[in-house]
Amino acid sequence: MPADVIPVSVLTGFLGSGKTTILGHLLRQLEFSRTAIIINEFGEIGLDHQLVKASEDSFIELQTGCLCCKVRTDLEQTLQDLLQRRDEGNCPSFNRVVIETSGLADPAPILQTLMTDTSIAGRLVLGGVVTTVDAVTGAGTLTSESISQKQVAIADRIVLTKLDLVGGAQHALIRRLKELNAAAPVLCADHGRIDSPSLFGDGLSVPQARSLAVGSWMAEEAHGHSHAQHHADIETYAVVRTQPIRAVALTLLLETLAEHCGADLLRLKGIVNIAESPDQPAVIHGVQHVFHAPVWLERWPSNDRRSRIVFITRCIPQRWVEVLLDAISAEVVDLLGKAPAS
Amino acid sequence: MSGIPIDLACELLTKSLAAWHLVGVVHRSIDEAIVILGTPKDIRIDPAPPDLMFRWMITIDNRKRGAISFVSVLRQVREALDPGYASTRVRVAVSPLVLS
Repeated sequence: MPADVIPVSVLTGFLGSGKTTILGHLLRQLEFSRTAIIINEFGEIGLDHQLVKASEDSFIELQTGCLCCKVRTDLEQTLQDLLQRRDEGNCPSFNRVVIETSGLADPAPILQTLMTDTSIAGRLVLGGVVTTVDAVTGAGTLTSESISQKQVAIADRIVLTKLDLVGGAQHALIRRLKELNAAAPVLCADHGRIDSPSLFGDGLSVPQARSLAVGSWMAEEAHGHSHAQHHADIETYAVVRTQPIRAVALTLLLETLAEHCGADLLRLKGIVNIAESPDQPAVIHGVQHVFHAPVWLERWPSNDRRSRIVFITRCIPQRWVEVLLDAISAEVVDLLGKAPAS
Repeated sequence: MSGIPIDLACELLTKSLAAWHLVGVVHRSIDEAIVILGTPKDIRIDPAPPDLMFRWMITIDNRKRGAISFVSVLRQVREALDPGYASTRVRVAVSPLVLS
């Protein structure tokens, strides 16, 4: 990643789950000394920003209103303003941005903006999504609040908070979190304190981390969790294929998924053996109907050369995706007149 | 020939109707066509003759149209049976995850 490309991380979690407390602790650490914070509060009078003390080189922007509802304009404008002020020397030269969403926000539109906004392309990259879960009330919230499920489902890392109030992690809650998002590590915060590198590792935005990240996604699958796991209406499953997939077949699959059920495709991540490039796997990543251009790894991260695509969906049947991929692949192979390269 | 075995096409249509929360029963007819029954419209899907540019011919209430792929067949079936269907086009992010 070029030095002047700034990772943007999203800190989300339901109301009262400890986002601001964690943020306050992070900003006291050296590696967060040059961080621009965007705090989104729901309501006309914000308080959270007054609870966070930043260092001299970090600073806080405040947005009111629901970020996910107005994200196309508000977040885009805020990020543009930040970059402009940085360029003009009118604010500290930050090297990281953290967006703390409101507890009621759907993080998916925020990710979409970060992935598609042409005005910030090339200068900001999506870091990772961290979701806080209250160990005391989290289980109930996950049952009653669908937005809470979605916040957990698309997380790269999950942080359990308020463990001191319940005497440690509850197995039932951990199990429910794994049902919603088997690939995300579940970390524990101690009164808001947590190891920052493990929290805001740069995920896919840093080349060295890509293979590790891919390995992490697939670790659960390797341990026998490739079958669908579901909680309420959110399902997580992996589609695995031994035969290489033609590039055009993959494109058609993603287009068809977006066309017919884009809103329910909460997140998709995968490593794909492309028939035209068998030695350099493609890493694909999408949120709803928005996909990144594939990232090509220089080599396979392990001897396992199967295509493995992890889906986090709302009511998109696994079998439908599998049959769709098989049908598209069969038609493409027939059209091209030969079998996929091995 | 379409490239997709008829049985696989039937299963895909069956699973598609279920995924879209639509009612209908998919049958393979004796003349190797696919017929969707139990819907407000009569739908029949045939492999296109080899002299046409299409791969499939889809007949909906006696109106026959060509489809260049089974993805196109799915779109036509959904448009015919799901009045509230508004397709979403895929968007590709403006930059890759890792800038070169």
